[in-house]
Formats: sequence, structure tokens, C-alpha cells
Amino acid sequence: MAGDLAIIGYAQSPSWRAAELTEPQFLFPVITEAIERAGIGRREIGFTCAGSCDYLSGQTFSFVMNLEAVGAWPPISESHVEMDGAWALYEAWVRLQHGDIDTALVFGSGKSSPGVPAEIFPLQMDPYTLTPLGVDPVSLAALQARAMLDAGKITEREMAEVVARSRKSAIGNPYAQVTGDADPDALLAEPYFTAPLRRHDLPPISDGASAVVLATAEKAKDVCEHPVWIRGIDHRVEVHQPGMRDLTTSVSTRIAGEKAGVGTAAVDVAELSATFSHQEKILREALGLGDDVDVNPSGGALAANPVMAVGLSRIVEAARQIAEHGKQRAVAHATSGQCLQQNLVAVLEGA
Amino acid sequence: MCSSKNVNDERVSTHTIEFPYTRTLGPVYSAFLTGLRDAKVLGITSRDGKVLCPPTEWDPQTGESLDLDFIEVGPGGVVETWAWVTEPTRKHPLDHPFAFALVRLDGADTALLHAVDAGSIDAMRTGMRVTPRWKEERIGYITDLEAFVPEASA
Amino acid sequence: MSDPNQDVVDPDAPVVGMDYFMSLHFEERICPVVRRYADALLEGKLIGHRCPKCALVYAPPRGYCPIDVIETTDADEVQLADRGFVTNYTVVTPVAYYGQEATEPFAKVSVQLDEPGGSLSLQDVLEIGVDDVRVGMRVEAVWVPAAERNVDEIGNRSWGSAEGCILGWRPTGEPDVPAEQISDKVF
Repeated sequence: MAGDLAIIGYAQSPSWRAAELTEPQFLFPVITEAIERAGIGRREIGFTCAGSCDYLSGQTFSFVMNLEAVGAWPPISESHVEMDGAWALYEAWVRLQHGDIDTALVFGSGKSSPGVPAEIFPLQMDPYTLTPLGVDPVSLAALQARAMLDAGKITEREMAEVVARSRKSAIGNPYAQVTGDADPDALLAEPYFTAPLRRHDLPPISDGASAVVLATAEKAKDVCEHPVWIRGIDHRVEVHQPGMRDLTTSVSTRIAGEKAGVGTAAVDVAELSATFSHQEKILREALGLGDDVDVNPSGGALAANPVMAVGLSRIVEAARQIAEHGKQRAVAHATSGQCLQQNLVAVLEGA
Repeated sequence: MCSSKNVNDERVSTHTIEFPYTRTLGPVYSAFLTGLRDAKVLGITSRDGKVLCPPTEWDPQTGESLDLDFIEVGPGGVVETWAWVTEPTRKHPLDHPFAFALVRLDGADTALLHAVDAGSIDAMRTGMRVTPRWKEERIGYITDLEAFVPEASA
Repeated sequence: MSDPNQDVVDPDAPVVGMDYFMSLHFEERICPVVRRYADALLEGKLIGHRCPKCALVYAPPRGYCPIDVIETTDADEVQLADRGFVTNYTVVTPVAYYGQEATEPFAKVSVQLDEPGGSLSLQDVLEIGVDDVRVGMRVEAVWVPAAERNVDEIGNRSWGSAEGCILGWRPTGEPDVPAEQISDKVF
């Protein structure tokens, strides 16, 4: 085994409500910046892995065209996951374990703006019992929120406070989309969108991309002054049918967190893919994060939700907290599927 | 700078993706959808004796395939959680405000996701009992069960 | 004699199949370089970007060169020839699947444009039978009359389309380009 891997470069695009550029066009500078930050040559990269979903923007071979932003000639060794870029990072992490190459480029990207997410995501669900009902991410999240409220695990006020805090935190984040001062009382006065969720409890629709460069320990020490070490990473998935899970807890996040080693030392900061306001509490609990942990200083997914990149962006933001803001230990979380069906947890350290 | 013939600043291209799928069902979904055609909801018995509805082809705990041991559940059941849809999408089963809900039918140990046509958000309550409203013409589809309705009003 | 009851579905037979018609609608903002390309088409011109490093020409322009991985801008815009030669083609025999409108075999060609270069793929050929389409054949664009041109079908990923402005490509009658000159131009 090569020892712990490190993040030696990263970058994000801003998140736009509807990008004017094509996906390869806004991915292009993100990849270039991540590689430049890593301080390695583009042709040195041993493996490239991308996370994206053609169905988001409805164009076949979108993921192939995205490779134009990488520079795939002469041919490169690359792979793709129909998942958030966080899972592309996981695949690259596995690849680097073999020890024959020492760097990998990872990215996630997506344009949610061209389609109607409420119509696209039902197609990911069980085709016999759920897709024909057109049950969409917001309705499913609302079922989960209601279950939380009924169980006394959260209040609507706490949900509004998460929204207000996230938007305020996002003010300093140049990559965020929904920012500003919001008063929880004013938020609570808004009508329901899909009860018990109000519009502000939902993530924005975002176009965007992020990228990370991974390196082996030896390579990282050679080229990077302050590598961000991946001390642990794991992902778990639960049963698909919402009626067969306890939606108020996230068993898969808990197990992934244990396997990644979250609880072995104090956590300074956590970037969690809580796409809906009530999910932050579920994740905090699953990961055992106390009130002293700074959650989503970037604003999180409520401030910007570039599907297919948002989870990787949590890893980037967690890495930034260590590399740029002097934090020592961070947790990053990504999710896939509905109501936190599948979850990935990474533990990052500065030294 | 090249001149441009833009009439307006905003140019948008539109396209539609459509395809008719026909799926084979296998023994479990075939039994389930045939049951719906016959106005019955079926569950399947898991290895540890639980009744799973909707039925799955494998045990959610162990991953083992399940015996084709079906049992009728319902017709009525309890709303375990619900969400009130104010603005239905064109893919939703009803075109007026309704609830999506997880309904645990009598005799089942898991909940089925479906619509509750309660008329108003005020009629919805976790723990309420609901019963199916069946379509007149049924073909073997999840929407043969048009929606659940409050048992009190059925 | 055929059985008149053969097509009647047995109401008691188990349900073995499930139909689902998926339909998704998309609306995407057209990016600046493609808007520029579309505007030029309306004026009866083909434009592309030439990479300042490797001199490859991209039609329509992408805003970058994927080989050198550098940005290209309006400064790299070049007007392209609307004549060239066929580098590749396929003859499609239509199969009756959902959405298929064609009924007769048709050809789609890739055209390598004369200097400064660039190539358009999936183009239609005119005034020639599908059996006579060949690699090396010299062609020229047949433009839609100016007043009738539209760019309704030109989007961000039109794969080098000129639909609505160029009807297709017809043989010029000049001698074919010899095969030896084409081996590095596949698309």
C-alpha cells in the first residue's frame, strides 16, 4: 500500500442558475486551475476520472465531450462514473492504491438548468413502482422532513435557521449562488412549496463544476508545500424503497463515517451535502458532530447545488479550510439518490 | 469585433427526448402488477418472516432471492408520513393538489409510496387510515390504484 | 383461416410487461461562440476558430482547442470555405423505430473544407444517388436562399450542423482527391 493519498490541487467554477457557457467550456478553466495549483504538468497525470450524468442536460455523450476540457490527446487513461465527482474521487483513490502511478485528476460537472429536475430524477427511481408516479426529489425530501418533524427530531424553526446560517456563510464564497442575510422568522412566514418544505428549504438549481488533483504521499511531499491528507474515505448505500428505510436516520452515513475514521479525533469543520435543510441534522447526528463543529462554512448545498459536482465541491471546500484557513481536521460528505440513500464520507487532515 | 445579427440577447435551443419502453417484469413484479390489475395489493414474505410491500425480488437485509411467497395486504392502511404537493408536475398521478405518502397497508411490515387524494392539506395527518380508490379499467400498473383516500370518506 | 380471437388478451393471464413512455424537455442557453457561428450562417458564411498553437480549425468554434487545451477567442475566428471534399460517409438504411421519419436509404457525409480547413460531419448530399457517394468526391455547399434561412436547429452541441442554412453538398464535377491525401482525415 502506498500510504495515505493527498489532495495537492483543487478548483471550482462559480455556480450559475443557468450558465451561458457549455459544460466543457466552464469545466476547462476549472481543470486547468486545479492542475496549476497542483504544480504538476498536465501530461504527468496518471489517471483521470470524471463524474457526470448526461441525462441532466439531455445530451448524449456529454461526458465524452467533457474530456475535451482535459486534453485527451495523446490518449489518456480515464474513467467515468454516472455519479457525483466525489465517487470519481473514490475511484481515483482506489486506482492510486496500486502504486504504479502517482497522480490522478478528478472532476465533477453538470448543467441542471436545461432540464426539469423534477421530471428527470423520477427516472432514476424503481421503474415499476415509483417512476410511473413521477415522484420527484422535493416530494421525497418532504416525506423525510415530515417524518423528522413527527418524530420530534427537528422543528420548522431549526430548518429555517439552517437556511439562514447557510446563506449568510455563503456571502464570502465567490462560488456560491444563493447568499445573503435571511431572518428565520421571515422565512417561516413564507408559504409551503411541498409541505412541510418551503422554497428556501430546497437547494437552488445550479450549473457548475469542480476538480481535484490527488497524489501519492511521495509525490505530494515532492511537489506540494501543504498537502491535504485523505486519512479515510468510505461510502455505503441503503435500500432503494423509501418505505423500507428509517428516513430520519442515515445508517449508511454513520457506517461510512466510522469506516473513514471520523470519530477517532476532534473535527474542526464539516462540509456536508445536506441538499435540503432538514438533512443537515440527520447528517450531523450520523457523523457524531457536536455543536463545536463548523458546518458548511461555504454555505453548502443550499447555497449552490451543481448536481454531479456538489459532493466533490464539499471535498474541495473542506480541503480549502485546511489549506487556506488553517484548520487541521475536516469531514466532507457527498450523497447520491434520494433521501440520503447513498453516502460518501472523507476525513481530511492538514498534517 | 465581429458584428452580430442577434435579434435578442437571449438565444435558447430546445429539444425533447422521448422513448417508449416496454419492460419485462419477472416473477415478482409480474405477480404484484397482476394483483393490482385484480384490485389486490400483494406483499412478499422475507426470510425472517416480514411482509414486504411493495414486494422486492431479494431480501433487503441479506440480498438472497426470495421465494415467491405472496400474501395479500390491505386494502386499508396507515399513513406513516406524507408531503402535500401544491403544484403537481405533469408526471404526477393527479393534476390537482394531493399528498404523496408512505402507506403501511394492514398486514405489511413496510410502507408503499403512493398518492393520497385527500382534497386538502387539512385532511392529512400522520397516522390516518386510508383505503385504495381503484381505476375502473386496470391493466397491471402501479396507477391501477389511482390513489388512496381517507378511510373515513371512502 | 386465422383465428379471430388470436389477438384478444386473456384477462386472466398474468401481466408480464409494463410500458413506460419517457419524455423529457430541455431548453439550453446557446453559448456565445455558437451564437456567432449561427449568425454567420444566416449571412451565408461558415466560420470557425483556428488554434493559435496547432492551427487545427474547429467548425463550429468551441472556444478552446482540445488538443493544446488552450482557449480560443474571436481573435482566432476564420472564415471557412464552403467547398471541399468527402472524407467519410455512411449510408443509413432506416429502421422503423420510434421517432424515425426516414423511409429510404440516405447518406451522411463528412466534408473536409478547403483552406483554411475545418470539417463538418453528418452533412447531406444533393444531386447524387446514395450508391455513388464516395470518399474523395469534391463538393460545394448549396445554401438556402437568404430570406429563407433559419438557425432554429443550431444548438450548443449540433455536431457541426449547418441545418436551416445549408441544404446539403453537391458534387462539383472536379476530379476526386486521391486517397493518399486523405488518410489522416477520418472524420
